[in-house]
Amino acid sequence: MADASLDATAQAELVRRGDASPLELVEEAINRAEKVNGELNAIIHPLYDKAREQAAGALPDGPFRGVPVVFKDLNCQVEGDPYNAGMNAAKRAGWRSDHTDALAQKFLEAGFVCIGRTNTPELGIVPTAEPLAWGPTRNPWDTTRTTGGSSGGSAAAVASGIVAVGHANDGGGSIRIPASCCGLVGLKPSRGRTSTLPDTTPVDAMLNVELCVTRTVRDTAGVLDAVHGPATGDTVRAPAPARPYTQEVGVDPGKLRVGFLAHNPLGTGEIHADCVAAAERAAQLLESLGHTVVHEFPAIAADPTLVGQFTNIWAAMNAADVDAWGQQLGRELTADDVEPLTWALVEMGRGLAAPDYIAAQRALAALQQGCEAWFASGFDLLLTPTLGEPPVELGHFHTPEEPFLGFMRAATFVPYTPLTNMSGEPAISLPLHWNAQGLPIGVHLVAAYGREDLLLRVGSQLEQAHPWADRVPPVHA
Amino acid sequence: MADLSTLDATAQAELVRSGQASAAELVDAAIERIEKVNGELNAVILPLYERARGAVEQGLPAGPFTGVPMVVKDLDGTLAGAPYHAGNIALKNANYVADTTSHLFAKLQGAGFVIVGKTNTPEFGLMTTTESVAYGPARNPWDVTRSTGGSSGGTGAAVASGMVPLGHAGDGGGSIRIPASMCGLFGLKPSRGRISLGPDETEAWAGLVMRHVLTHTVRDSAAVLDVLQGYMTGDSYTAPPPARAYASEVGADPGQLRIGVRTTAPLGIAAVDPECVRATEAAARTLESLGHTVEEASPAALDDGALLEAFGNVMIADIRADLLDVARILGRDLTADDVEPGTWSSYENAAAFDAASYVAVLRKMHAWTRRMLAWWDDDRFDLLLTPTLGGVPPELGYLTDPAEGLGRMLPYAIFTAPFNMTGQPAMSVPLASTASGLPVGVQLVAAAFREDVLIRIAAQLEQAQGWADRRPPLHA
Repeated sequence: MADASLDATAQAELVRRGDASPLELVEEAINRAEKVNGELNAIIHPLYDKAREQAAGALPDGPFRGVPVVFKDLNCQVEGDPYNAGMNAAKRAGWRSDHTDALAQKFLEAGFVCIGRTNTPELGIVPTAEPLAWGPTRNPWDTTRTTGGSSGGSAAAVASGIVAVGHANDGGGSIRIPASCCGLVGLKPSRGRTSTLPDTTPVDAMLNVELCVTRTVRDTAGVLDAVHGPATGDTVRAPAPARPYTQEVGVDPGKLRVGFLAHNPLGTGEIHADCVAAAERAAQLLESLGHTVVHEFPAIAADPTLVGQFTNIWAAMNAADVDAWGQQLGRELTADDVEPLTWALVEMGRGLAAPDYIAAQRALAALQQGCEAWFASGFDLLLTPTLGEPPVELGHFHTPEEPFLGFMRAATFVPYTPLTNMSGEPAISLPLHWNAQGLPIGVHLVAAYGREDLLLRVGSQLEQAHPWADRVPPVHA
Repeated sequence: MADLSTLDATAQAELVRSGQASAAELVDAAIERIEKVNGELNAVILPLYERARGAVEQGLPAGPFTGVPMVVKDLDGTLAGAPYHAGNIALKNANYVADTTSHLFAKLQGAGFVIVGKTNTPEFGLMTTTESVAYGPARNPWDVTRSTGGSSGGTGAAVASGMVPLGHAGDGGGSIRIPASMCGLFGLKPSRGRISLGPDETEAWAGLVMRHVLTHTVRDSAAVLDVLQGYMTGDSYTAPPPARAYASEVGADPGQLRIGVRTTAPLGIAAVDPECVRATEAAARTLESLGHTVEEASPAALDDGALLEAFGNVMIADIRADLLDVARILGRDLTADDVEPGTWSSYENAAAFDAASYVAVLRKMHAWTRRMLAWWDDDRFDLLLTPTLGGVPPELGYLTDPAEGLGRMLPYAIFTAPFNMTGQPAMSVPLASTASGLPVGVQLVAAAFREDVLIRIAAQLEQAQGWADRRPPLHA
């Protein structure tokens, strides 16, 4: 029967063939969760009884019928389920979603059964899943270390084998960062590829996009097929793919020209030798597969003003998020309701003039043009380490006396991932390397806008050439 | 040769293709027509005659419109080496010349068009009439005491008077459709993301602005849309591409459409002139006679107060951002003397507007958009029919009155601006006239990204109730 090592595609196949029932798969996943979640704190809202009920009932006949999944507790809302977005204020209020959003709808229509909602930092701000409201999620590879964030709860659930697929989203790296820290596949699709209407709007879609973390490239492709596409009101839409993404898995990517960047172009800190080594070994692997790797990258990625512009946009959105939560909870939120960094960003967003926000958006546009022009000048991919450091110790980003110190530490930890949120380009973190301490170190590949197909082709080529399926963390169900 | 002042761009291109006229002849003839009537109309404010003749001499690209003269608005795009004043006195006094060419102008030139001049616009396109302090009023060829509408009024007057077959225009609150209605032209505002605003801009007014052309014929508008549409490197987002060329929608059967009609202003905020109501009701009857179903219906969200709040706030924030760009161009801080009083008060009002509130307003606008679009997507309407304007072309000076002007503009934008906020394609079709012979347009709005539906129905209306023979009193 199904065990923790089966990916979602294989589990769905069991159901389709009649070798397992949805209820059996769900029960096994719940058993695995009960075994390791106490140690990991990945799932914060178990929905076990609801999941059992759904699995025993009439599930939609989608490609993942009966396969258990977890949803991050940020977006992907399901009517009636608890929803906190990492906020203590929402937790204390016992907040539950009053509607199901377009993304959750698509996961459910694909046949997935959600067994629980996973931990996230408050409003997804920091790259670690350690909200004060719910405490830290622990990395199954080393429980003293971060899972990365913001989709760290989902990543721990997938890496430890509770489920094969965890919903995740990425506004600055939040799919790719935990994928790197937990040894998973994490694809951030192109801007506008997925929809979370009505909760996030085209304003949010400029930076944020939704998908998942998985253990196999084919699962990522399958989920992307199942959940991509716009909803009524989406004006920011990625161009439709030529064919289903699952058909890209295993397809020869051809001979690619790959740019290589393994220093920190923004000067926000040095890149750790383990991360440089991961990218260098990936470069060698790509060359052994017939691709060409050259030490070049889009010059605009080194623009020192980018960090400030990105922070301006985050601060404005964060302030609007906190105000919107206040309206939802029926009272104005104050500094006591949110974490210190969240409040510092609220004050920053409120202090920023609207035209400065518009100027920041224009700076993003310039970055996007620069990056796209670089690809158009003859590059297929950009290769970087996913992160600037291996998974750091828990607590590293929590600096309550000096909130922006934690924020700057985050900039050192994630020097690469926000670039593609700003440019809108798709990017993937692949688990191609483990350091001497046995910690996963991800490798990051970026493609031109709309080219998830290429990332999936080369991702599956690398998965075949340098498989990671037999890598199992110490804490595993 | 045929009377070029009455030939559309498609027909003029055919003359060149078949050898019956040369590009030089078409361009010279257009310049002659401009010289004949522009003194009275003040439509073309920056002639580019030498540049145009030079382009012809150097050899034009072979495209669908090779050799056809056109004008571009002095806003909504820049042409390297040509003045760009945006209706602003400070840019005019600085003799500012742009150093980049916008993608859409490059595409127009690539299609073979020859740009013979730049047309009048209100300051930064902020008015529904074209009467800037910097360049004075553009006059309506149907009655030179009246407004052409705005902000693309210079182009409206140039095309309506027969100077050129078509001209570039932009629309952030109705600025294609308003002059189309007032000057008796066809004006289609495409979907958000349909035409690239690059390379210098990715979106304008938070996505409210889209650009295209004012034309006499539907086929010209469709064929130019084929030229202009599509992703350009670095665009933040792009409308989904059409299934086939827009030109092929002209004459295609639109099928039997379900059309809602509304003649009262959104929010009931302005009275609608009976002439505009009559025009819309007549259009409804015409559409019924063509086999469509027309019922009194419109999205409930049109009466939602979120509409005006969002529009006003987006405008002032972007006005301030744009003026900060102008200050960078001029190399100094702006003062009240650099801009018109209404622009300056928006600039000052926006100073206290913070980024968090701006994000909240944008989110509110998008949430409202979703409620609007549900009428098309979920309630299964194909089109909304409304008057384009709440009023007939007003006397010059009426909308620029220092005390009353702002309030008087409301009826002239209240039907058009909601669809800048939703990003839907919308068009003004020149189907009617007032008792005194002034043009009155009707607006049709399609679901998001469905310009194809608009073009099919516009072509059907053009065939059923052609407007090609109507000429304004002042005509080249």
